[in-house]
Amino acid sequence: MKSVLVVDDEFGIADLLADVLGEEGYRVATAASGRQALAQMRAERPDVVLLDFMMPGLNGAGVLKAMAAAPELAGIPVAMMSSLGESTIGGLCDGYAAFLLKPFRLGDVIETVARLANPAPKPT
Amino acid sequence: MNPKTPPAPYQPARLPTGIAGLDTVLDGGFLRGGIYIVQGQPGAGKTIFGNQICFGHAAAGGKALYVTLLAENHARMLMHMRTLSFFEPAALPASLAYISAFQALEDDGLEGLLELLLREVVAQGATVLVLDGLVAAQEHAGTQIDLKKFIHRLQTAASLVDCTIFLLTSAQNQFVSPEHTMVDGIVALSDAVDGDAAWRAERQLEIRKFRGSPHLRGRHAYRIGADGIEVFPRIEGLYARPAAAPPRPDLRPVSTGVGVLDAMLGGGLAPGSTTLVVGPPGIGKTTLALHFLGGCGEAEPGLLFGFAEPPARLLAKTDALALGLRARLDERSVEILWQPATEGVLDQLGDRLMAHVRRRGVRRLVVDGLAGLEQATAEPGRIRRFCTALANELRDLGVTSLYTVEAEEMLGALPGAPLGGALGRGVSISAENLVLMRYLEARSLLHRVISIVKARDSDFDAGQREFAVTGRGLVVDATSERAQALTGGGPA
Repeated sequence: MKSVLVVDDEFGIADLLADVLGEEGYRVATAASGRQALAQMRAERPDVVLLDFMMPGLNGAGVLKAMAAAPELAGIPVAMMSSLGESTIGGLCDGYAAFLLKPFRLGDVIETVARLANPAPKPT
Repeated sequence: MNPKTPPAPYQPARLPTGIAGLDTVLDGGFLRGGIYIVQGQPGAGKTIFGNQICFGHAAAGGKALYVTLLAENHARMLMHMRTLSFFEPAALPASLAYISAFQALEDDGLEGLLELLLREVVAQGATVLVLDGLVAAQEHAGTQIDLKKFIHRLQTAASLVDCTIFLLTSAQNQFVSPEHTMVDGIVALSDAVDGDAAWRAERQLEIRKFRGSPHLRGRHAYRIGADGIEVFPRIEGLYARPAAAPPRPDLRPVSTGVGVLDAMLGGGLAPGSTTLVVGPPGIGKTTLALHFLGGCGEAEPGLLFGFAEPPARLLAKTDALALGLRARLDERSVEILWQPATEGVLDQLGDRLMAHVRRRGVRRLVVDGLAGLEQATAEPGRIRRFCTALANELRDLGVTSLYTVEAEEMLGALPGAPLGGALGRGVSISAENLVLMRYLEARSLLHRVISIVKARDSDFDAGQREFAVTGRGLVVDATSERAQALTGGGPA
């Protein structure tokens, strides 16, 4: 069973996504801040991270930077979520594999998680 | 002994709000480092208020932090804010960040919330903080003293880091609740419903408390439009003390544009005076007003602020009468500002009128259809105070004003008879001059007569004159003989 970590400070969003992705067959954990997310990732490496950008303490850019600096967290695909446009987020950080514009449609979230959790095999 | 220059009064640093009209109400803005409650029913515009202040602050080079508890989610909030002109995407997230503090409140109560707020304010360098959803904090407070301590500590910290804080919350049933006693100011947003029809509503803002600053007391209308919130300071409050212009006794009387009427008035209208022209529909009130504006020129700009007749009809009337007004309009010494008398906001109309008067240095003003102003308020009793304040300000600006007023009786009010509508509500008190136009029926024909009912400080001719509306405009009898005959006072 693939695992997903959903990181969002806003009440209800992480829980909602956890319910929906759980129904899709993922094992889902949630975190409400960047620091909490890093601690959970270190405790159990997820297959995919859904990461909000604007959060108290450590924001999405800070989390990505910390992940890049930690060998044990390298290579985890991250879908950045934000109500700011991707052009804004792209100028503030890099290293994420997908972008979800809030408010998003659940179908887009499910499709993005499926794509990141099951990457197409590289051509030989 | 050397005379000492008295020290200049202390002027506290202000935070401009970025909300049109609100800084006028606040005498320049909120006090920096203060903590303010913004309260109102759902839909009153609290979230727009908070966002507009944040974006305004960011546009001025400051940094702002918008923190939600249990409120609208950020994505939907920003989606709505994007439709408003103050929304500037480039401000996000460097100058304006949105975070949720609900988890901190859930996990660690008010202590956790306070810690998060202070940490984030310092980390972001924010000098404006909006906390949206204070009610959630209230519900997490164990006792009233806990909430007071929370606000007190927030206030202390805010002043230390020069951060101005706004707490958004739903309207309280009772005015005095613990948090109200702690904060530096309270902004109340409400909807007032028209007492008669109960169909139309008017948004109103009131500064219920503002420590350390004068402000315009009472309620002020506001609107939410494409530019966000726009406040229209109540004209009576705004012009409670009219601009102190020096008297100009040397000025000559202002002509009405009708020679006989000028003679009846003792030479014309006093400069800066207010005149009401009262009469039934179709009798020629607007035509008299067009005569008055025909005297405008480059040095004496005019404005027709109309409710009664739309511009196209006015222009057609102007062209049909040889009053020279078309040329005045073409050279822009006269302008027409027209608005339908439907659901305006009285103070917005007053603001629009005064802005135009100041910008163009208007000297002759016609308000065509006083009822249009009256219909723009849910509180008709205000109209007298409104007109008095407006008249005082216009007088001090040297603007000679003429208002047309629809009489309620087709055959016109008789001199001395009770006056209805706006006049009955005392508007005539603020006017120096009252001109009455009415129909008289004689031998199955309707005749028009005009008279001066009042001309303050003037030895006016009180006799009635018959008049006609012709291709040259109003033609008024030089004497009162024919009018006397119509009223049985002499030969027909």
